[in-house]
Amino acid sequence: MKILVAIKQVPDTATQVKVGGDGKSIDTAGITWIVSPYDEYAVEEALRIKEKRGQGEVVAISLGPDRVREALRSCLAMGCDRAIHLNDAAWSAVDTLATARALAAVVTQEAPQLVLCGRQAIDDDMGAVTAQLAELLGWPCAYWIMEEAVDADGKTVRAARQVEGGLEVFDLPLPAVLAAQKGLNEPRYPTLKGIMGAKKKEIKDVKAADLGLGAEPAQLAVLGLEALPPRPPGRIIEGDVPSAVKELVRALREDAKAI
Amino acid sequence: MFKADLRAIRFTLYEHLKVQQLFELDAFSHLAREECDAVIDQCVRFAAEVTGPLSAPGDRAGCRVEDGRVVTPPGFREAWRTLFELGFLSFTMPVKAGGFGGPRAIGVVLSELQSGANTAFNMYPGLTHGAADLLEAFGSPRDHERFLAPMLEGRFAGTMCLTEPHAGSDVGATRTRARHLEGDVYAITGTKCFISSGDHDLTENIVHLVLARIDGAPPGTKGLSLFIVPKVWVEEGGALGGANDVATASIEHKLGIRASATATLTFGDDGRCRGILVGGRPHEGMRQMFRMMNGARIAVGVQGIAVASTAYLNALAYARERLQGSSVRHFKDPNAPRVPIIEHADVRRMLLEMKAKVEGMRTLAVKLALHADLAAALAATDEGRAAYHEGQVDLLTPVVKAYCADQAFRVAELAIQTYGGAGYVEDHPVEQYLRDAKIFSIYEGTNHIQALDLVSRKLSSRGGENLTAFLTEIGEFVARHGARPGLAAEIGALGAAAAALQRASGALLEFFTSGRLDQVTLVATPFLEIMAEVTIAHLLLDAALVAEARRVEAEGDHHQEDADFYRGKVMAAKFYVNFVLPGVHAKLAAIVGGDRSALDIPDAGFSTAR
Ligand SMILES: Cc1cc2nc3c(=O)[nH]c(=O)nc-3n(C[C@H](O)[C@H](O)[C@H](O)COP(=O)(O)OP(=O)(O)OC[C@H]3O[C@@H](n4cnc5c(N)ncnc54)[C@H](O)[C@@H]3O)c2cc1C
Repeated sequence: MKILVAIKQVPDTATQVKVGGDGKSIDTAGITWIVSPYDEYAVEEALRIKEKRGQGEVVAISLGPDRVREALRSCLAMGCDRAIHLNDAAWSAVDTLATARALAAVVTQEAPQLVLCGRQAIDDDMGAVTAQLAELLGWPCAYWIMEEAVDADGKTVRAARQVEGGLEVFDLPLPAVLAAQKGLNEPRYPTLKGIMGAKKKEIKDVKAADLGLGAEPAQLAVLGLEALPPRPPGRIIEGDVPSAVKELVRALREDAKAI
Repeated sequence: MFKADLRAIRFTLYEHLKVQQLFELDAFSHLAREECDAVIDQCVRFAAEVTGPLSAPGDRAGCRVEDGRVVTPPGFREAWRTLFELGFLSFTMPVKAGGFGGPRAIGVVLSELQSGANTAFNMYPGLTHGAADLLEAFGSPRDHERFLAPMLEGRFAGTMCLTEPHAGSDVGATRTRARHLEGDVYAITGTKCFISSGDHDLTENIVHLVLARIDGAPPGTKGLSLFIVPKVWVEEGGALGGANDVATASIEHKLGIRASATATLTFGDDGRCRGILVGGRPHEGMRQMFRMMNGARIAVGVQGIAVASTAYLNALAYARERLQGSSVRHFKDPNAPRVPIIEHADVRRMLLEMKAKVEGMRTLAVKLALHADLAAALAATDEGRAAYHEGQVDLLTPVVKAYCADQAFRVAELAIQTYGGAGYVEDHPVEQYLRDAKIFSIYEGTNHIQALDLVSRKLSSRGGENLTAFLTEIGEFVARHGARPGLAAEIGALGAAAAALQRASGALLEFFTSGRLDQVTLVATPFLEIMAEVTIAHLLLDAALVAEARRVEAEGDHHQEDADFYRGKVMAAKFYVNFVLPGVHAKLAAIVGGDRSALDIPDAGFSTAR
């Protein structure tokens, strides 16, 4: 069974993101880049499906500039068989729809039985590409997946999705698109063997023209980015416990209007 | 909480010491920087997520003996398994032994990260690695199959057994005996004490490397042989046999590294303990063990760097948050706003001292490892240069061990001082760092034994060429850069300090030739300190030159954070030269002054109290 995993490279969660000089994008100087954590669940799940079935191929794919090779390399180190890098100046200012279109073109060429994504990338939290991709392909799609099981024949997948207070279970005919939620699995660390072996695996560089796509005007424009205002300092209520509790309840009720 | 500064580490590796030069050489051409970075990234992750969180709980739980077997703290077994699945221990192992043939210069960083996250835990794999390295070098193919392979898989662990109740610093006093049985197999009897990882529950077997004297062998270190003494016997072909009559008599209750079991072991209580002579070569034990000891001495220095680094970074984080007092500029105004303590001059002094020492020591360790890598890589093609690099490894090994060990404790102490009262209590990690760090100056040969090694062997080996090459490198550095605007005064001070080192070595020579050996041993320790401080000052200034050029670039590109990083490098070098390095002149004065008070004071003169 062939599985395609779409991943995005994002700033490390620990990075202090700053607004760039143009006021519309972030300043990328000094940022540590990682594979978006939800996408790591997707990679892990794809590898587990392959391992369980004892055969198959897992292909990692990502759209972005040169630095994205590093993210693809770490997917290869985890165990993906090969990678595809959508790397073209034509995609330098893509929105989610153009990204989905590019991915859809690759999926059509590669014809996998399953596409796995993260439920959203942790940089801008849009969470739109997966659904757009499924729509463009005309494939069924389920988000926030906590469990999945592909049937023995590789014809359907049973997926359980997180909902308020429980799981909602679907059977999807394959091919299908699934978006991983935290808790689906515990992603493995790449082993040294995996890391050393990764360089022997292929990362195919793909341009827009290779997919028959041209530059497309973005349908979505970022008008500006603003840093969050600094959090006001917390308040410590002094005094003995009974009067402090009284004051806390009053403050929650009257000042914060929280209760 | 374990903290690491990857930016600083990468600077040392790639911007300053340029370890990427290794990938151009045949010996390392199978690797690239990209992979080494990925390995470092995974190692940080492992350290921060797996072993780091076990450090404080492991310290509190400690090890205990249950039914004659040591039980390690909760989580250690799982961490051990993960560590071997990932394979960090095989990084520097040769490819032919099943390793990845990675450079030691990167290996040093991997062990820094692991020791920093959990010093006590890392003792177990650290000793296993050292023992595996020894077997790789001296073991027979059969030893490799039976012992080395399972060690690299994490099924067996390793130890080094030198110390005995009567043989601590004086290894030659070893009493453990070996009686020939057949082939390479000997019956072993004796007691070893203070054996790190001497027993534990992490593996199915433990491979003890035991120094013992074959019956009839000469006294002293020359008569010692090295034996593989497995806890559980291993049959030809690798199957586990029965227990090999190695018993854990007790474990120590101690100041630090409490989660690392320090055991007293008895061999052959029932007359059934068997050992295999390493490589089948009798009376070679000391030479063979020295390979493990040299590796371990560097590793102990790296433990020091590791603890110092995380102690510093924790103190720095605390200093940025803790509000206390107001700025000295408003000293008359009681209502002036409270400031984070990082704004106080004395706190900045402590922070910068810690930073300079940590980064200087790391540079020294990576440089030493780079010398080792170059010596290995050039051995076949360029004997002369290989010999130069090998000589620098020899010369600098006692310096790395002793200086980094001592300074780890001092840096941990400064870290506690930076915290104030909060640093003294268990809620913060620095008090554990201080306790963990103290052992570094004691095991693997006390720091004084290192100083003796330096003055009695290392200075004179190869006809004194190693020291000459070392001083020449500094002399050329001073001559070339002495007029650098902004750093000229500091580079001049380095020249003066190097001259002091030269005079100190002249004084030692004079003590030697005039037969005043007691005077040599009296000043060996301050001599080692002079040597270390000159070395560190040189490396920090060399880094500062690189950083200064990068700072100018970064400022041109308006990368403020980068510019500040590089400025910090320059300031650390200046601080070290101006606040620490002047001490060498005081030490020189003491050495050449020739005062004999410590030698001549009558024993009762120390005190008449009983
Ligand atoms: C936690 C821990 C773990 C250890 N792990 C191991 C291990 O895994 N394997 C192992 O074999 N050993 C191990 N050791 C033992 C350690 O290596 C010894 O403690 C060390 O070598 C010092 O020996 P000693 O304790 O007998 O002290 P001594 O040798 O009695 O030294 C006491 C003092 O006298 C000084 N001194 C001794 N001889 C001289 C001399 N000739 N000239 C001048 N000064 C001298 C020393 O520097 C020291 O200050 C460990 C020890 C500890 C505490």
